[in-house]
Amino acid sequence: MRLEFRDIHKSFGEKKVLAGVSFIAESGRAFGLLGRNGAGKTTSIRILMGVFPAESGEVLLDGKPIDRNKAGIGYLPEERGLYPKKKIIDQLTYFAELKGVRSAEAVKACDRWLERLGMAEYRDKRLDTLSKGNQQKIQLVTALAHDPDIIILDEPFSGLDPVNAMLLKDVVKEEIQRGKIVLFSSHQMSYIEEFCDSIAIINKGEVAITGDLHEIKRDYPRDRLAIRSAQVERIAADFPGQTVTAENGELILRLNDPGEKMAVMQKLSAEYDIDEVRVFEPSLNDIFVQYAGD
Amino acid sequence: MEQFKKILRFELKGYLTNKVFVGVTALLVAVIFLVTFFPRLKDILGSGDGDTPEEREVMLVSGGDGAALAAIAETFPDYDVRSSEGDVREAVTAGEAECAVELHGLSDFTYYVDNLSMYDTNAERVSEALTGLYRLNALTGAGIPAQEAQEIMDAQVAFDVQSLGVDQGQNFFYTYVMIFALYMVILLYGQMVASNVAAEKSSRAMELLVTSAKPTAMMFGKVVASCLAGLLQLVCVFGSALLFYDLNRGYMEEGGIISLLFDMPPALLGWMLVYFILGFLIYAFLYGAIGSTASKLEDINTSVMPVTLVFIAGFMVVVFGMSSGQVDNPLMVACSYIPFTSPMAMFTRIAMSHPAGWEIALSVAVLLGSCGGVGILAAKIYRAGVLLYGTSPKIGDILKMLKKA
Repeated sequence: MRLEFRDIHKSFGEKKVLAGVSFIAESGRAFGLLGRNGAGKTTSIRILMGVFPAESGEVLLDGKPIDRNKAGIGYLPEERGLYPKKKIIDQLTYFAELKGVRSAEAVKACDRWLERLGMAEYRDKRLDTLSKGNQQKIQLVTALAHDPDIIILDEPFSGLDPVNAMLLKDVVKEEIQRGKIVLFSSHQMSYIEEFCDSIAIINKGEVAITGDLHEIKRDYPRDRLAIRSAQVERIAADFPGQTVTAENGELILRLNDPGEKMAVMQKLSAEYDIDEVRVFEPSLNDIFVQYAGD
Repeated sequence: MEQFKKILRFELKGYLTNKVFVGVTALLVAVIFLVTFFPRLKDILGSGDGDTPEEREVMLVSGGDGAALAAIAETFPDYDVRSSEGDVREAVTAGEAECAVELHGLSDFTYYVDNLSMYDTNAERVSEALTGLYRLNALTGAGIPAQEAQEIMDAQVAFDVQSLGVDQGQNFFYTYVMIFALYMVILLYGQMVASNVAAEKSSRAMELLVTSAKPTAMMFGKVVASCLAGLLQLVCVFGSALLFYDLNRGYMEEGGIISLLFDMPPALLGWMLVYFILGFLIYAFLYGAIGSTASKLEDINTSVMPVTLVFIAGFMVVVFGMSSGQVDNPLMVACSYIPFTSPMAMFTRIAMSHPAGWEIALSVAVLLGSCGGVGILAAKIYRAGVLLYGTSPKIGDILKMLKKA
């Protein structure tokens, strides 16, 4: 399956929120939707879900305008919340039924997911008796129980401890393998970098950059070397004005000419005590700051 | 439609498993049980110790002769009427007597009582007794034999009242009870719908709901569920009242208030149902729409104020119309076509007067149409409102949203 946003425009009153957003997300791959607060991510998601229509542009699934009754969409909103006073299984089946699942099947599916997430013992408890992290896992069931084709996860990892984050990662990977279109929206770049093959960075209602993450990284000029060494200070002194130290302690050396890459690498290995030297690729964080910064 | 049914079922289950809802209904039924079974219980418990005479209140009479005292004593068999020479005012103030009559002659007296009750007609009864005595004296003074004079005094003109329309004296009570029930249920449930919507919004369950269901399905599902819950509660309360009354019919005082309450024509119950459902729907839609514009539960009370005021104003018009006996006054007639007041106004006119068939049909038609219109409008406000957080929008903003929706 192939989900395509084609030139979507949307305004609220005088405010233009989306000004021609286009990107493509494919099944079997996770897609990262990035952007600063207020960039237009949630509006894009809501248009995809049909909460309100776009002013112009189309959302296409396999080339045809999306039929939200046929293509199931699962959504984990950033603003989490269910009914605090109601029994967990009751509300989970309610949401699954609203998405068109038959009553008996909804109960089965919800039980299966509660089991998978290690929450089966809380089935008949009220939601507000659970910890925040566990409530979040319950909320995840509402996004998955109706077995949707498109799964939208907005900040899925916020509030989860490392064990639960691992569990969620496994679940998401399974869903990707099952051929679902998974849309991630997050500010935690490390997770996006780990999961997403493709990204779109939205800035001020426009897509600043979109495409395959590896290609985006590869498109950067390969004119920098990342060096790990005990002698970084000496190297920095020998290449005046060409080096910066990265947060992780690596020395980034900018080459005067990309062509001298091999020569410099050999020189470094010969003259200094080098642990590692490689061509520097920007992190997603660097890319994000570059495209979504002011 | 499928979503509507699911939402309806979920919301209705929410009401029926709500402890407050069940508790209040059970409490009301229990109170009705006590009230309707009270005469029977009193009868059963009272029959055992029926020999002890009831202690009667003391009424002091000062001044006047023995004839006056006898006439007063005859008029007040329920009082222990005693003659007094002392200061009767002081006796009443000190609590030695319930009340006192100070005679200044046969045509003039003062009635003393500590706290004058609204229903105290003693002074009028004393006046009647003394007037009778005065006239009897005058007749015998004019030479008419005492027995003949007494016959003249006792002569009564027989009469019979037949109401050809409805008897307002009789139907006032049950109309009032029904209007009041309508008023209470609409206000309570309306507020409940509003706070339910606002609670979903503040708990952010809304984020998921708006992406899962259509706003019209949500709005209609919620409102119809609350209507059914309200109806169920009314049926429980009124049904148990009728049942208990029927079981205790033999013990009820003939013509007492309770008997008057239950003496309603069945057709009126039908009309009550019609106006209850329609009136409930139109207000519940409004309350739901308002609930969707509030971001916090605390804002609900102030946000729903305008709607509540309109409703209370309608209730006032109807109650004043009822108590003045002029249920067909121009204001009531106008109110019986305005959809926000017609459930109470037209119902009152049906109960206490004779509106023409076309009048009722027109009123129901206008109400029915408005319900649909307000429902769709409310769903639109709802869709726009539920995604707004922060300060509640002003009415102007809501109208703007409606134009776009």
